[in-house]
Amino acid sequence: MGAINFGYTVSAARAIDLDRNDLGPARQIAAEMPEFAACIACGGCTATCTAGALTNFNFRMVQTLVRRGEYAGAWREMNKCMLCGKCRLVCPRGINTRGVVRLIKRKLGDY
Amino acid sequence: MAEMTFYSGFVIPFIVGTSVLFAVILYKYMRWMVRLPREDKRLVRRGVFSRATAEAIWESVAECLLHRRIWKVNPLLGYMHTAFALGWFLLIVVGWAETAAYLGGRLVPLQGHIFFKYFTTSLDHAPRWGVDFEAVMDLLLLYVLSGLALALFKRIRSRALGMRRTTRLTFGDRVALTSLWFVFPMRLLAESATSGIYGSGGFLTGSLGGALVSTMPAASMASFETAAWWGYSVALGVFFVSMPFSRYMHIFTEVPLIFLRRWGLRSGETEKSFDHFQIEACSRCGVCIDPCQMQRDAGVTNVQAAYFIRDRRYGKLTREVADNCLMCGRCEGRCPVGIGVNALRLNSRHSLNGTPADGRYDYVKGLDTSTGSRVFEGAGCEIGYSMKQGRVGFYAGCMTLLSPRILKAMEVIFAAAGEDVWWADRNGGVCCGRPLKLSGDVEAARDMMRFNEGLFRRHGITVLVTSCPICLRVFREDYALEGIEVLHHSEYFERLLSEGRIALSASDDGGLLAYHDPCELGRGCGIYNAPRNLLHAVADLVEPTETRENALCCGSSIANIHLPGAGQLAIGRAVGSAFEATGATEIVTACPLCKKALTRGTDLPVSDLAEVVERHLKVAR
Repeated sequence: MGAINFGYTVSAARAIDLDRNDLGPARQIAAEMPEFAACIACGGCTATCTAGALTNFNFRMVQTLVRRGEYAGAWREMNKCMLCGKCRLVCPRGINTRGVVRLIKRKLGDY
Repeated sequence: MAEMTFYSGFVIPFIVGTSVLFAVILYKYMRWMVRLPREDKRLVRRGVFSRATAEAIWESVAECLLHRRIWKVNPLLGYMHTAFALGWFLLIVVGWAETAAYLGGRLVPLQGHIFFKYFTTSLDHAPRWGVDFEAVMDLLLLYVLSGLALALFKRIRSRALGMRRTTRLTFGDRVALTSLWFVFPMRLLAESATSGIYGSGGFLTGSLGGALVSTMPAASMASFETAAWWGYSVALGVFFVSMPFSRYMHIFTEVPLIFLRRWGLRSGETEKSFDHFQIEACSRCGVCIDPCQMQRDAGVTNVQAAYFIRDRRYGKLTREVADNCLMCGRCEGRCPVGIGVNALRLNSRHSLNGTPADGRYDYVKGLDTSTGSRVFEGAGCEIGYSMKQGRVGFYAGCMTLLSPRILKAMEVIFAAAGEDVWWADRNGGVCCGRPLKLSGDVEAARDMMRFNEGLFRRHGITVLVTSCPICLRVFREDYALEGIEVLHHSEYFERLLSEGRIALSASDDGGLLAYHDPCELGRGCGIYNAPRNLLHAVADLVEPTETRENALCCGSSIANIHLPGAGQLAIGRAVGSAFEATGATEIVTACPLCKKALTRGTDLPVSDLAEVVERHLKVAR
């Protein structure tokens, strides 16, 4: 007895349960570079990004996801960064963004 | 003279030490030479019978014995190093001559030369060959001892010898240093004792010996003599054993390094066998420490060239030590051994951080965001246009794109000169690749370089102007741009001025300019005069105390991926106050990154050269 096809279905839950995410790697990253936690998500980095102008690379998004423990695809995304350093110059929180990029890549190479 | 056996129990430490020393050194050198890559071996073969070898011999004398470059750092420091090197060298050479003069062609074992006085008490020590050897040897010993006295004084007051900070030594270094310091006083005591007993000796050993004999009974004098020779031999033995494992490995290694360097060997993007010669030729003299702004202003004291090389040599290099450096090149310029520490640091970064390129920048393929005055005239125009010769292209680079005032100034100057410019990346482009290269990702950086090369070629430019020294350096060093002349904007403006295509009017507001040399432009590309010539044409120029080859780094160098913002700011402020001390009313630089860094470090206005030139353009009537 297959399910009746009504022409529509119930969507899978889109809720993100942060309590169930493994925050280990994010904590490790924050321990090595405490400024990682200082981001206010203003998006200056993304607005000025050289790679972001050519692709849909979004540094703010990736680092926010990583902070939440959602690591999938982070490494692949961070690989788009050219390390040019513009984001670091515009960051109002003085975050060493290039250092963060490299650290995320190093810690999350497996994800 | 048949009774001279040249053997006594005390020579054993010396013989063991010497054997270990030469065995280890030979093993190391053979291993490094065998492992040289094929190209390097070819350079060696080609170089051996060339002028370069003669030059290397002279440089070895000038540097390893006379320490010419250390004299330039500080005369007292130079005297100290020369006293040890030249003094000891002459003691050995004159010692051999003395042996030959008194014993003729007789084969004398090594210890016979070194402990000559002990074994030849039966000789009369009248001058031979017209030379009073005892006096000469005493004079040389005194020379070395004067160097030793300075070395001791340096421990207490290093500033007197031109060094604010000296190197922190490892345990092995301390063992070697202590034994070295004992060698010469022990030699003095031993030779004096023997001279005193047998009534020989020069002005130093003879008189000290006489004094010893007059204060001691004969029996204790004999045991004192034996003890002193034992002490001398043990000091030599310990020093020789510790030498190849400590900073004193430089004594011999500097010689092959000079020869290999003269034959054209250099450290490259990736680690190779030649690096060993550079690393073990470092004596950790510490001349690199004082100029380091990381130490001076940012309080980071474990990353300086001497410490980086030490850590790498003993396999203890951490990412932090490799990465936490501005690569400004101030230390490299002062290194008395001429070690290419920036190249070594870069290939260490490659080993620690480098990852395969993996096509991760494939997204740039086929991209072209360039613009030119006539590129968009119609379909196909771009292809036809690329055939045209004599075209100037402008590559702003990421940092200029972040400095719209520089970009605007360039636009005005190009228009004033009537230059038909192709803008490579005005609407955003692909990074030049140098930041990646500096972080050790050499392979991936190459992908970017090949992309930009292709872009420049496709548009048929013959002159490539850039306002960013970081890009300039990578264009000149790593890009294959035959047929395209690469110019920094300062050089380009100078050319426009000399060709009469632009004219500048001197300002009359009494402003005083100070020019900041960007590291990548000055020490990196050797461009010091072009910006100054332009500035001289428009205003008076003052120089800070550390300028040109010695110029300070702005602190925000793209080469340091580790330094937190506070450190960058501290260095920027220190540079800012150095400029404020000149009384200048405006700081001018020629690098968009330096501009941003200095702006954060001072209240003085900071401009790029392009902005100053634009401001002083004489409008054609």
